Amino acid sequence: MTLAVNPAQLGADPAPILSAGDVSRFYGERIGCAGVSFDLWPGEVLGIVGESGSGKSTLLRCLAGIDRPDQGEVRFAGRAGGMLDIFSVSEQERRAMMRTEWGIVHQNPRDGLRMHVSAGGNVGERLMDRGDRHYGRIRAAAADWLARVEIDPGRIDDRPVQFSGGMQQRLQIARVLVSGPRLVFMDEPTGGLDVSVQARLLDLVRVLVRDLGLAAIIVTHDLAVARLLTDRLMVMKAGRVVEQGLTDQVLDDPQHPYTQLLTSAILSA
Amino acid sequence: MTPAEMIRVEGVSKTFTLHNQGGARLPVFRDVTFSVRAGEALVLAGPSGTGKSSLLRILYGNYLPNAGSIAIRHGGEVIDIASAPPRAVLEVRRRTMGFVSQFLRVIPRVTALDIVRDPVLARGGSEAEATEKAQAILARLNLPERLWNLAPATFSGGEQQRVNIARSFVSPSPILLIDEPTASLDAANRAVVVDLINEARARGTAIVGIFHDEDVRDRVATRALDITAFKAAA
Repeated sequence: MTLAVNPAQLGADPAPILSAGDVSRFYGERIGCAGVSFDLWPGEVLGIVGESGSGKSTLLRCLAGIDRPDQGEVRFAGRAGGMLDIFSVSEQERRAMMRTEWGIVHQNPRDGLRMHVSAGGNVGERLMDRGDRHYGRIRAAAADWLARVEIDPGRIDDRPVQFSGGMQQRLQIARVLVSGPRLVFMDEPTGGLDVSVQARLLDLVRVLVRDLGLAAIIVTHDLAVARLLTDRLMVMKAGRVVEQGLTDQVLDDPQHPYTQLLTSAILSA
Repeated sequence: MTPAEMIRVEGVSKTFTLHNQGGARLPVFRDVTFSVRAGEALVLAGPSGTGKSSLLRILYGNYLPNAGSIAIRHGGEVIDIASAPPRAVLEVRRRTMGFVSQFLRVIPRVTALDIVRDPVLARGGSEAEATEKAQAILARLNLPERLWNLAPATFSGGEQQRVNIARSFVSPSPILLIDEPTASLDAANRAVVVDLINEARARGTAIVGIFHDEDVRDRVATRALDITAFKAAA
C-alpha cells in the first residue's frame, strides 16, 4: 500500500473554532432555543435543519453574536489562541469580530447589503473597516471578488438595486468573504431564489467553502441543500436539538421520530 | 486487529424502527462478525432483503448499527466507524474507504473529467497527474471523449455509472465497498470493471462487495459471506 496517511491528521485538530455550551434564548415563556451544545472544527460545515419556528434562526443569531443568549455561552477561537466568550467582550469589540473573524450571509440580501452603494463600494467597505486605505488596491480586490462570485466586474459601479436576486445574493457573499473570515453563518442562503439560480449559487458556495477551507454554519429547511453543502447536521424541533450526526447518515438512516417525519415528507434529497 | 486486517466487524446488529408507522420494528441481522484483509475480496451473499446493502452502508457510516463495532485501519490508526465523530468518518472516507454504487450523485456544473480528477487531487496528486489518470480511465471505460468536459446531469444511466466507476478506481482507496457496480453495463464494460476490481485487489485494496451477476461474482470473489447466517428473529 503506497497511500500515505498522516496518522496525526485526526488527532491533531488543535481546537474547535466555535464552541456552544447550553445556548438558550427565551421569548417570555416561550422557548426560542434551549440547551444547544456543540463544537465546530476549522473547515467543518454544519447544517441546522428543522421547520419554520423550530428555533434555527434564533440559535444562529446567538451563535453569530447578534443576540445575547439568556443562558449558556458561545466561545470563539481567537487568532492569538485560546477560546473567547464572545458575549464577555464589549459590544464594540464583538462588532469588530463580526466584521473580520466571522461573517453572516442573510436570507434577504437587503439585510446584508447597502442597496444604494455601488457593488464595488459594498465589497470595498469591508476592507476599509479593516483599515485598508489604498483606493486602487481596494477597487482591484473588489473587482477580483465580483469575478469570483461570477458578477461581471464591469458592473462594479452599479448599485445592488439594479441586480437580480441571485446576483444580489452573490454580491452579499463577496462582501462577507472579502475580509477573510474563518467562519461564515448562512441563513437560508438560497431561500428566495428560483430553482435554476439556486443550483448555481449552491455550487458557488460549495466551491468557495472548500477552496478557502472555511468553517460554516448553514441554516436551511431544504434537506437537499443540507446534503449538498454540509458535513454534519443538527435537527431542531421546538427549540431543541433532537438528533445530530454525519449528514448522509442523519438523512438516510434517521433515528428520531421527527427526523423520520422530515425525511419521509420530501421526494428526494 | 492483525496487521493485515483492514476491516474487522464485531457483533454488528441492525433493526430499523419506523416511529411514524406505529413504531414497527424491522430486524435485519444480529451479531455479524467478520474481518477482511488487504488484497481480499469478500462477497456478501444471500437473497434480496437479507440486508447486504444495509451492511455495506453500515461499514461506510451511512447507516447506524444498533450494536457492535466496525474497526477500520486508517493509516497508522484504527478507527471505529460506529462510534467515531463525523469529521473522523469523513477523513476515513477521504483517504481510506471508498463506496462504489450504481448511482452517481450529480453536482450541478461539475464536468465528468473534474469528477474523476477529484480523488487524485484530494490525495495530493498534481493537476497534470490527475488529468492524465482521469483521461486514461474514462477512455478505458469507453466513455466518449466528447462527454468528458460536460456535466453528467444529462448523461444516460450507463454513462453516469461509468463516470462513477472511473471516479472510484482512478486512485483506488485501501478499502472499497462495492454495491452492484455492473447493473446497467454491457458485456464489454462489465469486463473492464472486473479487471479494475481485480487490479485494485492485486495492489492490496481490501474489497467488500455485492454482485448479483454470478459471472462477475465468480471472477472477483476470493471469499464469500452468507449473511442469512446472521438473520435476526422478527
